[in-house]
Amino acid sequence: MEVADHKTQSLENGQAAEEEVDEIENDNVLQFMDSMDAYLTLVHSLSSTLRQGWLDLASARHSMGAYRLNTALLDHTSHPAATSLLVDEGKEPHFTLCKWRSSGNEKLLLGEEQSSHDKSHPQLRHRGATLLSEEKTSFENKASCEIDDQVQKERSKSLSVFGTLVSPKLRAAQLSFETALETLVEIANTRSEMLRAFDKVNQKSGGSKD
Amino acid sequence: MANRAQIPNSNSALIAMIADEDTVVGFLLAGVGNVDLRRNTNYLIVDSKTTVKQIEDAFKEFTTREDIAVVLISQYIANMIRFLVDNYNKPVPAILEIPSKDHPYDPAHDSILSRVKYLFSAESVASGRR
Repeated sequence: MEVADHKTQSLENGQAAEEEVDEIENDNVLQFMDSMDAYLTLVHSLSSTLRQGWLDLASARHSMGAYRLNTALLDHTSHPAATSLLVDEGKEPHFTLCKWRSSGNEKLLLGEEQSSHDKSHPQLRHRGATLLSEEKTSFENKASCEIDDQVQKERSKSLSVFGTLVSPKLRAAQLSFETALETLVEIANTRSEMLRAFDKVNQKSGGSKD
Repeated sequence: MANRAQIPNSNSALIAMIADEDTVVGFLLAGVGNVDLRRNTNYLIVDSKTTVKQIEDAFKEFTTREDIAVVLISQYIANMIRFLVDNYNKPVPAILEIPSKDHPYDPAHDSILSRVKYLFSAESVASGRR
């Protein structure tokens, strides 16, 4: 009787373990399918954004003239990229887009220094909490306006390669391609997730074949 | 030198491009262009005069440079060097195939999707059932 109970219990434990393994495998497959679906959706979105960008470029070329919008005018002197990526390597690499980075970071640092300077001066507290929070909000607004101004300056600098006065369509094209860059970074991150999920699924199916 | 990791953690890196004129100009407007002191750029503009060898060399250069994290390549250009693109399997830089004006994106040719599509083939389903 005891032996029969023991056998039943071990059978149940075995079944539970198998069910758990199946659940993990199903989770891996679901994760892979989700990431592949996200990848395809993002690529479709990228196609639309790029199409808009090409259309705007064609319109700009039509209004400005082909001689004013061609690769012969590109700046070949040494200059760094204004838009770059931050890469965080780990189990899977993660990419973060930094648009018009040089100007934005400088202003952010300036903001942090200012707020830490305010904290070290207690006499501001005598003005009252409301005034202090209003000053902080107005400072933050001012900082964000300054960052926006700097970003606009960087954008104008990028456009100035093709002349001082450019078609509004060229500005629209610039915004389209900026959006396309954001989508591309999402695609790169989704690609990493998809490959990781694929490796998990592949590992499991390879292990079960053995 | 040879054993150094390709990109250090949390470091700034570039986006490289191998594409047609309009695509490259568009992304350059978005601030992606970089020219170093030796006048090396992070992009190659492909036109009717560009040879397959030039594209191969650019691909090899961009995938071995330490300061590049993503390589954008138009899918129709990737098809010209498909054997190189499909054999590339490092996580960084990531190779992203993008559509071009005259050649829409085809998922059947995407190297990442080709790598994973065998999971959905009849063979793999049948082998799983054995």
